[in-house]
Amino acid sequence: MITEEELDNLIICKKCHTLHKRVPLPPNKKAFCSKCDILLYQNNPNIIDKTLALVISAAISLFVAFKFTIVTIDIQGLEQSLTLYALFMVILEQHQYIVGIMFIFLIFIFPITIIFSMLILLILMKLKKGAYLTHRLLILLAHIRPWSMVDIFFISLLVAMVKLFDYAYIELGVSFVALIFTLILDIIITKNISFYELWDLHTKIYGHIDE
Amino acid sequence: MNREFEYIRCHICEAVNYVNDKNTKCRRCHEKIVQDLKISYHKTLAFLITAIIFYIPANIYPILISKQFGKTTTNTIIGGIIHLWEAGSYPIALIILLASVFVPLLKFILIIYLLISTKYNLNSSKIDKHKLFYITEVIGPWSMVDVFVVIILSVLIHFSGIQIYPGDGATAFGLMVFFTMMSALSFDPRLIKHRKGNRSNAKP
Repeated sequence: MITEEELDNLIICKKCHTLHKRVPLPPNKKAFCSKCDILLYQNNPNIIDKTLALVISAAISLFVAFKFTIVTIDIQGLEQSLTLYALFMVILEQHQYIVGIMFIFLIFIFPITIIFSMLILLILMKLKKGAYLTHRLLILLAHIRPWSMVDIFFISLLVAMVKLFDYAYIELGVSFVALIFTLILDIIITKNISFYELWDLHTKIYGHIDE
Repeated sequence: MNREFEYIRCHICEAVNYVNDKNTKCRRCHEKIVQDLKISYHKTLAFLITAIIFYIPANIYPILISKQFGKTTTNTIIGGIIHLWEAGSYPIALIILLASVFVPLLKFILIIYLLISTKYNLNSSKIDKHKLFYITEVIGPWSMVDVFVVIILSVLIHFSGIQIYPGDGATAFGLMVFFTMMSALSFDPRLIKHRKGNRSNAKP
């Protein structure tokens, strides 16, 4: 039978499922899969502090992105803005409940849940408190992570703007910039810390949790 | 018995587990990791069939309805792409073609291939199959682009004279993407490793 420590020193590549043995890394170095060259894990000092700072900025920019106007279009003097409130009203008016509710969950509820779970998680991990809560938060994050689609929303926004370009005057709002910031921060956060490393840190801080 | 077969990557916390008959839960997050492979196989198949069924109305019914001073015009996905191509916006037409036609079809084909290859033990590389499954998971949500574009347009073009509505095709398309993602999520990577009989390359 294999002990837990030995198992903790193994890692399976998420892309090709090759089993690797972990080697200790010097600071700021990364380890890659031997078969498909995907990033396996990295040694990044002060990772919690760095990620916490990034998550706080991401939370602020996400709040701005949903609070203010994303774009305003102007067709011969008639103006219309894209905001979250307008979105709710249009969905209620047009009775497109299935698409609308899906949209609101994928664009609004899941990203906000992810950012705020990350925020609470990292603060608790920094304070080394709440072993069980952080454990549950990590499981929640794993479940809803594939369902956040802010990046796809942004590409769709660009496509929609190109479609309207010939007919309307388009004015970018504050939220448009905030949306770009959120996406950039999201990319940096996922590059900085993988889910595997979050769980690894959790085990290092709190030890193995019994059911 | 192949040694590699006994190590499982937990899909929730990504911890490496050594699985025997006694433990069916992940050692770190205590979520269930060893589910019946038959159940996983049939769940994947069921979600896939549902998605393929939704793909038909998604292409037949209009995804976009525009009302211009009382005159109603409708656009299906293919119709919209042809319209964009004729209007000269080739990059956008290509993005929509890629996201709403090729990505769903590619996902269907990949999942069907993975299911067939596990069922009939096709002699293909295990690592390639894992890579295919990874691609399936990554490209999944990108087919939502067209639905999102329609919703954004319906919010922006909302005047008394001109209005745009998402049609029934948008609902079907959204549900199709949802079910293909569910299908990919319920596919257990252990199905790829689990090969009845043919274990000639196993280490002693």
